[in-house]
Amino acid sequence: MSSAIEARSLVKNFGNVVALNGCSFTVREGEIFGLIGPNGAGKTTTLRIVGTLIKPTSGSVEVFGVDAVGDPDKIREMISYLPEEAGAYQNLSGNEYLRFMAGFYAGKSSDVNEMLGEAEQIFGLGERLKDRVKGYSKGMKRRLLLARALMVRPKLAILDEPTAGLDVVHAYHVRQMIKDYVEKRGVTVLLSSHNMLEVEFLCDRVVLIDKGVVVAEGRPQELKQRYSAENLEQVFMEATAIG
Amino acid sequence: MGNSLTPLVVKEVKELVRDPKILIGVILMPLLIFPVMGSAISISQESVRRAMITASFAIYDEDQGPHAEALKDYLKANNTVITIEATSLEDAIILLRESNTSVLLYIREGYSENVSEGLRGWVKIYANLKQLNIAETGQSDKVSSLINIYNYWFSLTKIERLLEGAGESVDPSVVRSPLSIYYASVLKGNVLEVPPSSIFGLMMSQSIMLPIMVMIMLMFAIQLAATSIAIEKEQKTLETLMTLPVSRITILSGKLAGSILVALAGAVAYMVGFGYYMKSAFGFAPELTSMSLGEAGIGLQPLGYLLLGVAIFVTLVSGLALALSIAVFTDNVRSAQSLVGILYIPIIVPSIILMFTDLSMLPLAVRWILLLIPYTHSIVASKAAFLGNYLVVAKSIIYVSAFTVAVLYMAARIFSTERIITARISSLSLRGLLRKH
Repeated sequence: MSSAIEARSLVKNFGNVVALNGCSFTVREGEIFGLIGPNGAGKTTTLRIVGTLIKPTSGSVEVFGVDAVGDPDKIREMISYLPEEAGAYQNLSGNEYLRFMAGFYAGKSSDVNEMLGEAEQIFGLGERLKDRVKGYSKGMKRRLLLARALMVRPKLAILDEPTAGLDVVHAYHVRQMIKDYVEKRGVTVLLSSHNMLEVEFLCDRVVLIDKGVVVAEGRPQELKQRYSAENLEQVFMEATAIG
Repeated sequence: MGNSLTPLVVKEVKELVRDPKILIGVILMPLLIFPVMGSAISISQESVRRAMITASFAIYDEDQGPHAEALKDYLKANNTVITIEATSLEDAIILLRESNTSVLLYIREGYSENVSEGLRGWVKIYANLKQLNIAETGQSDKVSSLINIYNYWFSLTKIERLLEGAGESVDPSVVRSPLSIYYASVLKGNVLEVPPSSIFGLMMSQSIMLPIMVMIMLMFAIQLAATSIAIEKEQKTLETLMTLPVSRITILSGKLAGSILVALAGAVAYMVGFGYYMKSAFGFAPELTSMSLGEAGIGLQPLGYLLLGVAIFVTLVSGLALALSIAVFTDNVRSAQSLVGILYIPIIVPSIILMFTDLSMLPLAVRWILLLIPYTHSIVASKAAFLGNYLVVAKSIIYVSAFTVAVLYMAARIFSTERIITARISSLSLRGLLRKH
């Protein structure tokens, strides 16, 4: 299986703050890959570098063989990025928002309609798409944004904390949608989370990040065996030697 | 991926126009507030006018002589006049105070005798100020003009009689006013048989409106551009936008075009509202003037329109690009709007200075400082376009275009770096910054 992402020795400094300090990992094509770590570990910075929003201070990232620093435009054609605190345009309806976004990826209008059909399924609250986004609850907004990120059929979907702040019902729906979509479409997903249950449910492989460095990498099952742990939470505590 | 600019512009316009603050503040308010203000002034003026037409004035005739009678007959011919019967001036004033009459004309004893003997007749106008409104003073002005007219014709009759006595056959009005003064203006090599004040009035009423409109439009556009970028940060949509398969220059252009369109709608609403206000409040109607700018040779020719349009457009784009570049460093709409307020200074200062004077009348240093400010050039260019000095307009366009290219380059640089995501100036840090200075 060829690699979708090759991150090598990523370093990112914001002034005196070191956000990433030599982070390396490989994501294989077609898998759901999780970045796990506490707040401030460097997960979002890593996703932003892969998503071409920021450049690493040193190190490199290749997405499907394309250098993220050298040719960001090419990467943007292959990816779809869902930021952690993303919002949607308040004064557009859900439908208008999705149509606006689909227009950047679709070649012709039939493609737009296909994407909208797919988005409606992922969103799962059909009628509400006619309403303006400003009237949506937090969970509905997140479902709309996930629908936006997946409907464009990216080669790589980057999802930063896809269920953060959602209640059980919405979080369950979002997780299920990600899993179903990947099975159906075979896209690669890079996601971050500090919800270990979510990671175990969704991810084929994970890296554990702490203070900007990778402390462990592997399949959730392997990691649990390696650290003789019952769950990934214990793995994390063992790997970072906090526990 | 096709044309990505159109959906970006449509999205910008929808987002801005559907925002109630912008829809009400920029488009609906000027359309509503100016006509309301105009109607209010118009209604009060109409009531004053009606009051002046229907009101009467009183006369207290102490003289009772033939010349006083003649004056009273003249005044009674076209007006409602009440003759006050009183024993003294004091009584007459008491009666005036108690009445609804606004004016009392007092003809003092000896008026007829003086006039007969070739001396000056003596009259006095008392204004009865009860409400201290315009109608009351207007009434006394009206009486005074009536007496002035009477005075003029009376003097002509006297002069005519004197001339007859002396056997002279001269027009009495020439004797009263022996000189005739005529005015002409030399403009762009043409001699126009009109006083310079008329030409200046025309210029003021038509060419000055344009820079004012540009100034208002610029200020609208700057606020809109700042809002459009800050709202992306506030609503957390910017990160997503920046990862779309569309160039940063297209995103920047979409924001510029969206802001220009909404600002234009705002400016049109403002001008429509303002035009209605001027018309209803002051009866301001340029078509009533006896001469048009075209007749005076200072109208806008097609080339002038074109050049002026280009000058205004590049000025607008530079202002917007500057606003976007500044607003990028804030993280919410309020901070962005406060920060771009800095740009109002170089827009308003030249507008005010050049409204009252011309560049050539200013000291050299001030002139150069003003010329360095790009927003001076929209005013300079509009005056020059009206006068047909196209070279001046072209120079302004070249200078402002160069400035605009530099600002656009800077904005494009900021948009293509990660600073657009990482830069954060909040209201708190802004306040801190201001306190420091």
